[in-house]
Amino acid sequence: MTVEYPFEAEPEDAELKTVGTPVVRIDGLDKISGAAQFVDDIDFGPGLLHAAIVESPYAYAKIISIDTSKAEAAKGVVRVATGKDFPYKFGMYMEDRYIFAQDYVRFVGEQVAGVVARSHREAVQAAKLIEVEYEVLTPLLDPRGAVAEGADLIHPDLDNYTHVPWFFPKADTNIAHWRKIRKGDTEKAFAEADYVLEDTYFVPRYAHCAIEPHVTVSKFDYSDRLTVWTASQSPHTQRHLFAEALAPLGLTHKDVRVITPYVGGGFGGKAGVSMEIMGAALATLVKGRPVKLRWTREQEFYNTYQRQGVVAELKVGVMNDGEITAVEHKLYWDAGAYVEYGANVVNAAGLSATGPYRVPNITNDSLCIYTNLPPGGPYRGFGYSEFHFGLESHMDRIAMAIGMDAVEFRRKNAIVEGDELAYGASMNPSGMLEAIDKTAAAINWGVEEESDNPNTVIGKGMALFWKAPAMPPNSSSASFLKFNEDGSINITVSGMELGQGYLTVMAQIAGEVLSVPVGKIRVETPDTDRNPYEWQTVASHVTWSSGLAVEKAAIEARGKIFDVIHQVYGYEDDSLYLEDEAVKCRTDASFSKPLREFVIDGIQTEDGTWRGGPIVASGKFMPEFTNANSDPETGQGGHPNVHYTVGATGVVLEIDKETGRIWVRKAALAVDAGRAINPDLVNGQITGGLVQGLATVLYEDMRFDEGGKMLNPTFTDYKIPTAFDIPDEIIPIIVEVPQPDGPFGARGVGEHTMIGAAPVIANAVYNALGVRIKSMPITQEKVAMAIIEKSEECAE
Amino acid sequence: MNLKIKVNGEDWVLDVAPADTLLDVLRERIGTKSPKIGCERGDCGSCTIFMDGRTVRSCLILAVEADDHEITTVEGISYDGISELQTLFLEKNSFQCGFCTPGIVLSATELLEHNPNPTRHDVQEALAGNLCRCTGYEPIIDAVLAAGEGGSE
Amino acid sequence: MVIANEFDYRRPVTLAEATEILANHSGSVRILAGGTDLVAWLRDDAIAPDLVVDIKKVPGLHDLKLDGDTLRIGALVTFTDLIESDVVKEHAPLLAEMSETVASQGIRNRATMVGNICSAVPSCDAGPVLLAYDTTVHVTGPDGDRALDINDWFLGLRQTARTDDEVVTHLTIALRPHGGVYVKLMRYGGEDLAQAAVGIVAYADQEYRVAFGAVAPTPIRSARIEDALRGRPLDDALIAETVAMVRDEISPITDIRASAEYRTRMTEVMLKRGLVAATERLAGTGPAYGTRLI
Repeated sequence: MTVEYPFEAEPEDAELKTVGTPVVRIDGLDKISGAAQFVDDIDFGPGLLHAAIVESPYAYAKIISIDTSKAEAAKGVVRVATGKDFPYKFGMYMEDRYIFAQDYVRFVGEQVAGVVARSHREAVQAAKLIEVEYEVLTPLLDPRGAVAEGADLIHPDLDNYTHVPWFFPKADTNIAHWRKIRKGDTEKAFAEADYVLEDTYFVPRYAHCAIEPHVTVSKFDYSDRLTVWTASQSPHTQRHLFAEALAPLGLTHKDVRVITPYVGGGFGGKAGVSMEIMGAALATLVKGRPVKLRWTREQEFYNTYQRQGVVAELKVGVMNDGEITAVEHKLYWDAGAYVEYGANVVNAAGLSATGPYRVPNITNDSLCIYTNLPPGGPYRGFGYSEFHFGLESHMDRIAMAIGMDAVEFRRKNAIVEGDELAYGASMNPSGMLEAIDKTAAAINWGVEEESDNPNTVIGKGMALFWKAPAMPPNSSSASFLKFNEDGSINITVSGMELGQGYLTVMAQIAGEVLSVPVGKIRVETPDTDRNPYEWQTVASHVTWSSGLAVEKAAIEARGKIFDVIHQVYGYEDDSLYLEDEAVKCRTDASFSKPLREFVIDGIQTEDGTWRGGPIVASGKFMPEFTNANSDPETGQGGHPNVHYTVGATGVVLEIDKETGRIWVRKAALAVDAGRAINPDLVNGQITGGLVQGLATVLYEDMRFDEGGKMLNPTFTDYKIPTAFDIPDEIIPIIVEVPQPDGPFGARGVGEHTMIGAAPVIANAVYNALGVRIKSMPITQEKVAMAIIEKSEECAE
Repeated sequence: MNLKIKVNGEDWVLDVAPADTLLDVLRERIGTKSPKIGCERGDCGSCTIFMDGRTVRSCLILAVEADDHEITTVEGISYDGISELQTLFLEKNSFQCGFCTPGIVLSATELLEHNPNPTRHDVQEALAGNLCRCTGYEPIIDAVLAAGEGGSE
Repeated sequence: MVIANEFDYRRPVTLAEATEILANHSGSVRILAGGTDLVAWLRDDAIAPDLVVDIKKVPGLHDLKLDGDTLRIGALVTFTDLIESDVVKEHAPLLAEMSETVASQGIRNRATMVGNICSAVPSCDAGPVLLAYDTTVHVTGPDGDRALDINDWFLGLRQTARTDDEVVTHLTIALRPHGGVYVKLMRYGGEDLAQAAVGIVAYADQEYRVAFGAVAPTPIRSARIEDALRGRPLDDALIAETVAMVRDEISPITDIRASAEYRTRMTEVMLKRGLVAATERLAGTGPAYGTRLI
């Protein structure tokens, strides 16, 4: 089906003044001066209470008893709570979690009790006094083990859990969701293929590591309304989940207010609801007092969403001319103890696990498997980073095996507009081929380079990527816009400024339509009482979706402006246009009416009366062409994804042959932004996402011991990049093949920039050393030991 | 215990507990919020402040240790208008979420005070203790290098 | 998380007052200098002293100077002091090379080198270099002053020869012309604890000091490798001979930072590159101090 613009679009030939320009960010001065306020920076006065959480030391155990008496008697303690105080379930896509553990704990760190005290120190001291008796059970830590016959059931009641209609849990197993795609006849295609490669790839868990830890302040006041200040990507979704989970207390949506100031990084980790529900619940027990709950860095690692690990069994068949004929991709996701959000990662990956290729015969199985590790959840890339590692490693190996250039092989098979997707719908317009060519050129693909240093070798790699927003088919965005006396504008939306520049982009879109410079537009961070609905700031969809809502509001405001002019001066609406903050007329070049002269007070007519009044407008957007109703056995029939953003990554590496140390000398990344509303911000996403992705492949890695306890929950041992750990040169490349239904043609790019990083390193390491590493991360230790092993094998 | 401390030019006298960190006292007792709580063990650098003109981790200093010392934060250096370095941060998008930015601005300011024309390596070294998860550092390094080449001569 | 355990804090203004406080205190006590380890440990609940004695107001502990051929480094000298010192730059640039690998600027501005060897973790960066320099550790306590050979300093994991009522006042290093090198294996380019480290000092007449970090419960010296090197010109065969000894000289563990085998292999590489660099530096050639060899 053809995707159409959801409302009357700007004329394509219109000259753009704001969109497409690198305007200075509207949140800049706040952030570089120390003025930017994050949740933890808000003062709540002397009444503020502090919460501390008692956590399970075991990955799987039955709670026998909890003795809170010593904690209740401790100095400064106001209230202690356990699971018995809140026997309520919650969850984003599947209700499988409780606010505090009930009878069982299912991961190390799971919350068992909470203490509210007058000071943080007193809360922490009292939490240590709570005695919990456990019956320790054997944890399931390996996803393939958890689906083996006879494995213990982590959620025996799985069959009774409420979930969205596009999940397919398997009762009496640990499979919380199984996304299947069946297209064509893979068996026949493999039999007929000239070459088939089959292998398994391993991807561990990763942590978001936003520098701001999760923090929430909740207040349940004497009028029974719950206000929650929270570091979140999802104010409205949080409100919705708080209202649903706490409905037994008599709370309704109008009683819950979520306020989200600036957020110190999200990357998916602050989407949905995680620790915030504990703060909200505890606040209901201490009426009238705000309660702060702030995660330590350690808790940030082990008790928020983690990026799920995956074991990927991949089989690809090709013909000698390089045509891919079949893909069979089986993804075993280590989804953790609760999958209320993570199961949708599994779903998204399953829908798209062919990668950005035209594949006629597909068998995808994406299994969401309960394990006794912390809950998996959304992380920049949402499943795509994970499966691209194996897939794009595999593509390189196949090209080599059939004697074809790896870039030519990808070019030949790259999916383009109109090709059929795995679930039957057709591919949107994309600049994939342009992205491939420009990336390859940027790293001098095909030209071998030699190092001057006898200890090092040079390698090059390429990888493609794609990703679609993963969201419910009807997720929507809305906006309010109002003019002020001086012609400046306030916009309220509920997307979150996570650093990506969302507020600035919304200002640019409105400014373009209304001819108002970005410097005269303020875009407010959300307060769910005042700002209109936004589903969440995830899925790289807000530039597109919220952008459309803002564009629509601006168009509505413009219509109202023209109406006033028409009423007073008689010019026809279609002869009017806006330029330089004034209304002008195509049929009367002498006419110019500055906005500031009438957008609040209106225009006085000849008889002394007034027309017009404050210009206010609203806009909303919901995709009306999507549906998630596909056949559970084949995945065919629906249209779950709105569109894909595509691109390519290339690197030049230098590797020390003795130590395995890898220097990324050059990295190029091309992404098809459709239209870069602000090219500098797109470049910011390219640079930041690429560096984040490179870290996942070069050194980041969550480690767990045999009991399921995380071994490295600090930056001392979970290394994230420093200023030294970036490529010597980054070449950002913006491709612009417009998205037909995007605001000014834009589509999202935020997550995509990290997806290609892992396989591109694997491919370049192979290119340099002839060593294929199939498990992430590709640390210098792993590389060094592989070199040693290879040289010792050769010596034998 | 008694704590006498100068923060951004203002004198304060407070009663603090020995176990209170300087970071907590700056944020909760004095209201200086630009030093952020990121890891509380010296790894991330978001609590960076100037103490007697040098950058330190305020999470790794007991408040009582700061007795008779002088503290400056980003609020202090922005009071009379932002610096040339901060202006370059604006122009070059040297921040995204902004959480690490106060610490990074201070570390870069310290570098430029001691080394007005730093190399790329010098800038990397000066910033290596300030973690930023958003930007990939490149635009930050650009801004510091530009400040070095520019008006600080 | 806040520091949950409460404790008393004292800030003596003389050395005598400091040692008196330590001697008279019956409970658990910790000495506070830079605090970059101590406060992190307090916060982690790794230690729970009931008294913390801050020695930063004690006079005379800030010295960083050359007395004749003896370099004196006070207990309160920070890694930044070492990096920025002209005396160090001219006479012992190895100390600056090592200091630059310690954590990050904001830590180095506070952390002291003496504190680093008092914390005595296996990966302490100062350990191998101070061993290679034949450093003397000067302590004072109720029974007077003691001068300890650094070789007798590290007793075990986080254990030193200092008794609970003693304070380290300073270190001394007897300097003569040398070339030095500190090679540190880290997981990436940024700040990291050593996965393995090698400190080497080369003197005239093929006299070497060779020490290792993070490959045993404490930083260690290898007399065997030093003996093998003594008086023989450094060539590929000699390097190979000493590299072959590494495996028996160290006892690394496998942990989340590295495997024992990788630590061993890399220590071999670091020794090889380090010996060459130290020898060249003695001759006034070789890579500039501060150049990363791995």
